[in-house]
Amino acid sequence: MNLFTTLILAAEDGEHADETSGIDLLLPRDVNEIIVGVIAFVIVFGFIWKVASPALNEMLENRQKRIKDDLEAAQAEKAEAAALKEDYAAQLSGAREEATRIVEEARQAGESARADIVSRAEGEAEAIKTRANQELESEKERAMTAMRGEVAGLSLDVAEKIVGQNLDRSGQQALVDQFIDELGGSEG
Amino acid sequence: MELILASGECNAEDEIICVPERVNELFENPFLGGVNRTMVLAVLAALIVIGLLYFGIVRHKKRLVPSKFGAAVEALVTFVRDEIAIGIIGPQHGLKYFPWLLSIFLVILVSNLFEVAPFINFPVSSRMWVVPATLSILTWFIFVISGFKEQGFSYLKDIAWPPGVPVALKPLVGIIELVSTFLVRPFSLAVRLFANLVAGHVMLTLLLVSGWVFLSGQGGLAKIPIGLGWLVVGLAIYAFEIIVAILQAYIFTLLSAVYVQTAVHPEH
Repeated sequence: MNLFTTLILAAEDGEHADETSGIDLLLPRDVNEIIVGVIAFVIVFGFIWKVASPALNEMLENRQKRIKDDLEAAQAEKAEAAALKEDYAAQLSGAREEATRIVEEARQAGESARADIVSRAEGEAEAIKTRANQELESEKERAMTAMRGEVAGLSLDVAEKIVGQNLDRSGQQALVDQFIDELGGSEG
Repeated sequence: MELILASGECNAEDEIICVPERVNELFENPFLGGVNRTMVLAVLAALIVIGLLYFGIVRHKKRLVPSKFGAAVEALVTFVRDEIAIGIIGPQHGLKYFPWLLSIFLVILVSNLFEVAPFINFPVSSRMWVVPATLSILTWFIFVISGFKEQGFSYLKDIAWPPGVPVALKPLVGIIELVSTFLVRPFSLAVRLFANLVAGHVMLTLLLVSGWVFLSGQGGLAKIPIGLGWLVVGLAIYAFEIIVAILQAYIFTLLSAVYVQTAVHPEH
């Protein structure tokens, strides 16, 4: 307000010639202010040029470097993790295949063992049966032979008693054998 | 008006506003003879700029995560660097001019904001010499020297004898270009800043003093609404002046960058 009214006053009224007035307030005739302005600006400029600007660059570069490093490290870790994951997946599928194979092998082994046991058992059973048959046969043979002697003796005794005379022993024996052979032949 | 314009002895009961006997008291510094208030404020502005940068950036350059204050200063500084220096002048030359552009931007910004700073309320930029003229003259030297350095004599030749213009028009366009580049540019740069800040300062002073006069002076209650009205308008202008202060600093810096850009890159 002061400035403005004085401006108007001073423009109209030239009484205060010794005072700075009018446009001189805004554009002072005394240009000393330029010197101060230049000095102040040069100080600011020097500070920014030599101190602040390099500091800013350093700060931004540090931050940039740090972020870049962090990103690169994260990238490397990510790749490592992916490789590890692939590795694990491969191992896991390998293990699964292995397990399947083992089970299959075991199944096949069991199968063949079963077949083996069955065939062996069948063979053994066959052998036992054969042996039993043979034993039976030989037993029958032996019993037949023993029975033949016995029957012959008994027949002779019976015949002696019936006939009452002793027949020639060897002649009798021959007779009995012949009889039994005929008997066996009719049987067989 | 009589009350306001009264000079000489000031009687606080009769007069609402006491006008100093000599208007220069407003600009003088009572403690240092030859050093006036503008000079003190100019130095204060320089100190504030240095303080901002020192506490915002230089002191914490090792810290990777900036503080809140540091981040704010950094945003301001990187704006000048990326948007003005690199954005206008180009990545090739931009960084070379960055310290100068940052200096003018911050010095003008702080000088302008003194207009709305409480207890200062005086934009240093509204005195022609200390900021507007000084910085426009420096800008003039910088873009003229850059032009001759980058393009040699063809810088002057391309302005005085512009390529791509019909031969008949070349002398006329050349004269216009010469005047506009070497005379009008620094002048318009300085006057734009200076006039905006003077206008804002005068407008703020008028409105706020009117508000004060109507609210506190003698008279009936009827003048109270008028005083409140002036005060409200004054406060609105106050907010507007903050924008003007920032905008004028930006425009000055931007135009300086554009002038340098036209000097280092020949127009095709």
